[in-house]
Amino acid sequence: MAVSVDEAVSTGPARDRTPPARRLGGRGRSALEVALLTVLAVVMLFPVLWMIETSIKENRDVYAVPAQFFGFTVTMDHFKDVFVGPDGGRSALSVAFLNSAVVAGVSTVLATVLGVPAAWAYSRLAVKARKDQLFFILSTRFMPPVVVVIPIFLMYRQVGLIDSKLGLILIYTAFNVPFTIWMMKGFVDEVPAEYEDAAMLDGYTRLQAFWRFTLPLLVPGIAATAVFALIFSWNEFVFAIFLTSSDSVRTAPPAIAGLIGGTTTDWGLVAAASVVFALPVLVFAYLVRKHLVAGVTLGAVRR
Amino acid sequence: MTPPAPGRSRRLSDRWLAVAFISPALLLLLAMSVFPLLWALYLSFTDYSATRGGPARSVGFGNYTAILTSAQVHQRALTTLVYVVGAVTLQTVLGFGIAYLISRRTHGRGVLTTLFLVPMMLSPVVVGLFWRFMLDAQFGVINSMLGSLGLGPVEWLTRQRTALISLIVVDTWQWTPFIMLIALAGLTAVPKYLYEAASIDRASEWFRFRTITLPLVWPLLLIAVLFRAIEAFRLFDLVYILTNGGPGVSTETLSFHVYKVAFLGFNTGTASAYGILMVLVVIVLTQLYLRYLNKLKEG
Amino acid sequence: MRYQQRIGRLSVPGRKVQLATAAMLLVATTMVACGDGQDDGGQASAPKAPATIPELTNDPLTLSFIWFDWPPAQALEAFANAEYKKERPNATIKVNTVPNANWHDAMFTQFAARKTDFDIAILDSQHIGEAVTNGNILDITDFVKSNIDVAAYNPYLLAAYGQFPQAETGKRDENASLYGLPLLGDTWTMIYRKDLIGDQPPQTWDEMISVAEKCQADHPGVSGLAFHQANGSDAAAVTYNTVNGVYGGNLWDPKTRKIEGVLNDAAGQEAMDVLVNRMKPLTATGSGNWFIDEVNAAVAQGKACIAFNWIAASGGLLDPKQSTLGSTREQILDKLGFATLPSQKTNLVPLGGMGMHVSAYSPEANQVEALNFMKWFQRADIQKKWAAAGGVPSRTDALQSPEFLNAGPFNQVYADSVPRMRDMWNVPEYARLVDIENTNVNAALNGAKAPKDALDDIAKEQQAVLDSSSRRGGGGL
Repeated sequence: MAVSVDEAVSTGPARDRTPPARRLGGRGRSALEVALLTVLAVVMLFPVLWMIETSIKENRDVYAVPAQFFGFTVTMDHFKDVFVGPDGGRSALSVAFLNSAVVAGVSTVLATVLGVPAAWAYSRLAVKARKDQLFFILSTRFMPPVVVVIPIFLMYRQVGLIDSKLGLILIYTAFNVPFTIWMMKGFVDEVPAEYEDAAMLDGYTRLQAFWRFTLPLLVPGIAATAVFALIFSWNEFVFAIFLTSSDSVRTAPPAIAGLIGGTTTDWGLVAAASVVFALPVLVFAYLVRKHLVAGVTLGAVRR
Repeated sequence: MTPPAPGRSRRLSDRWLAVAFISPALLLLLAMSVFPLLWALYLSFTDYSATRGGPARSVGFGNYTAILTSAQVHQRALTTLVYVVGAVTLQTVLGFGIAYLISRRTHGRGVLTTLFLVPMMLSPVVVGLFWRFMLDAQFGVINSMLGSLGLGPVEWLTRQRTALISLIVVDTWQWTPFIMLIALAGLTAVPKYLYEAASIDRASEWFRFRTITLPLVWPLLLIAVLFRAIEAFRLFDLVYILTNGGPGVSTETLSFHVYKVAFLGFNTGTASAYGILMVLVVIVLTQLYLRYLNKLKEG
Repeated sequence: MRYQQRIGRLSVPGRKVQLATAAMLLVATTMVACGDGQDDGGQASAPKAPATIPELTNDPLTLSFIWFDWPPAQALEAFANAEYKKERPNATIKVNTVPNANWHDAMFTQFAARKTDFDIAILDSQHIGEAVTNGNILDITDFVKSNIDVAAYNPYLLAAYGQFPQAETGKRDENASLYGLPLLGDTWTMIYRKDLIGDQPPQTWDEMISVAEKCQADHPGVSGLAFHQANGSDAAAVTYNTVNGVYGGNLWDPKTRKIEGVLNDAAGQEAMDVLVNRMKPLTATGSGNWFIDEVNAAVAQGKACIAFNWIAASGGLLDPKQSTLGSTREQILDKLGFATLPSQKTNLVPLGGMGMHVSAYSPEANQVEALNFMKWFQRADIQKKWAAAGGVPSRTDALQSPEFLNAGPFNQVYADSVPRMRDMWNVPEYARLVDIENTNVNAALNGAKAPKDALDDIAKEQQAVLDSSSRRGGGGL
């Protein structure tokens, strides 16, 4: 299985590899290390904390010089503005969040449906030039989006997919399928092939064996893979900004980017929108923390 | 891998199954990746423009020679190189350092790891916008903190050198956790008995780090570094939001330049050639990546 | 503890991939060789709109605009839905907005797609050339002849927002074709702090600089000047063009299509020198990426003695909620003055604002409705109402009306500026030209290039863009 945060947290004699000889002399050093880690953690987390703080500040405090860390008036207005438009209806941002959810959700489902069977086939069945196929699949995932968007744009205009949710869903699916195949192939490899062999000796067909015996064992892996695909689609910006333009299609990243560059910039709103946008990702990432290493390397590295 | 197939019919049905399971995914990739790329390849030999319409005239290798000899492109390539090398080096050193420190802790490792991972999960849009806000020379919190230390305001985003540094810093902030995570995977897997043997030998700490830890973690780290290099090479969104390529064009990366060629002048032919050249670089990097992946597997 | 890493089983691509690559190359080359392969037989010129408006539909219809996200966009949607509905109850107006930075790309990618989600494009005046050449918007010359009272306008405004080809300081050419009608007029206003520099605005550019210098020295923490310097949109370019105009320079010679040697002549160099060496030192640290919103924020925070901004973007300055200058509109107006730009060798001011243009790709019923909307919008009474609703009209009678002049403290500035306006080059290559100028002026302002080099580079690169039609390959680099 992949490295997990839980695993890393578990303590005990087996984990404690500090040799006793160094214990006494190492106390000062240990304190230094803790201090260093604390400083690093603060530095890494400060921008996130500052974002949260800005999202609950009134605008006049946002621009305060020197910056106010404490003792400002707390307001939830920015969060209200994220969801409620100036006219009392739904805000454009909330529509964008909804679009993001639809696009990310559907593309993830599609990528899973297409990717999982393929991953299983690559793992279990004799496929000609398997290595080359897998290389090809992976390399499509590494294409620079700005480059891909040019021919995709030309293609979409032929078939009328510019500025449509379906267009975004398709391209996100195409970017998520390679990831799903690579990630899932690792999970399939971990399930002993003997289960299927035994089932087939019992008279099941290969398909039935896959469906009844292997697939149920793959569910946790599928869930983890899907979450990573979901995060990719949710965060994606380049395709979204070049392939969509109308409010009813636009996803959240371009909508949030569009909050700056008008005649006034409401940084409190930018911060609140960012917090709302990041929250689901953080929750999902926490859910799949056991598979993070595999997830962020397209399943290439797993332990 | 393949189980012993008891007979011709099973082999046949397996083959059928493989085709049925693999071809939908491959067809999608062919339609959404290969076909567009072929189209781009074709256009890269023409002067086609997506807006002007009209027939595409063949220009042979004109676009390619123009790109490869353009001083504008060379400048962007240099910027991209500095950025990729700077960012990846910095996040490797920092990421490995943090992972090493965490791996030496006995308590609170889970919490620490989780906290450190937050930046990596954020969208580049959010990261870009927020750092732009924090790096603002007038009311940004970074200059505000420097001010209280008695340091003058720094023009983070509007000076040639600082702007590129800012870009590197922001990317490092977001992706150090990535290196950290993978390095941690390597570090926690170093077998304990190796250390024990070394401590019996009374080897110095540095010696142990150099001879045991590093060699075992290095292959995994290399994978992470290559992966990041590919990602950094493709970078677009952070530039778009943080500096818009400025001041002047000094933070324009290759990706950003392709965007301008493709969407400002709609010089689709040139942009396609530019894109194909970038894809070639990516393919080379990907090959390297896979080669090391294999080496790691064998080792 | 385990120490096994399971790595995806895989090798570097073998012969097959190489073969496949070769095959791909072959296919592509064949495609080039065989030729035309063209997908969309592009139109050479803009399609024509009918002279008289055909019968309008009575079915519910949504008339969509595209603009960038700023207060006039919301004002237009509210105004049109309130007023146009009185004439046409079945019509709903929707103003789609995109981020300013993405405005040109959003419109022209849709034009390129030959399918638009808008019926009326609100193009920047300089975008007309690109849209006309590509056949993206309707030719409305005949429509204007039979439906619009052209005598009611300052001829230059009609030319600026509708005519192509158009000379940037030109009179209207009665014989040229029209492709749009004015929606929102605009120019720069000088915003000055009455409480810091006195009630009288400086009259010449030199005087303005010395007043700003003194104000900055007298009021620590307040910078002398604030203006657009960003490298996106047309920010830094408009700033340079303005100074260039004021100091007697020219952007190009439209007849011979010469930029090299014209833009970077002595007057042009002087303008660049004034901008970089005399004006830039009076701006705030780190203001090198400022555009509309940052300049507004500096004024609202009381951090600038004199600022320059588009009039249509200045409304927010009077909002006490966003300002530290006062808690009511009146208090803010005690401190803020709005004036026409100072003059020096000439009194030119930049032309801003946008016109309405009918998308060639919108359904016919919508195109007809769009024409009807445009005719309605140009009526004298509607122009006055638009002025009262916060818009900037173009008809002379509306510009002189109390409805307009009393609607905002900067409206008199606009009325006074109309005869002084100059636009940029109105050519299909505009997007490239303005990007070259933006990035180089921005580089000069931020010390990434010497001012003279920057100007010479602009002239050289822009000239290359204008001359590039004969080149084979590599266009747009």
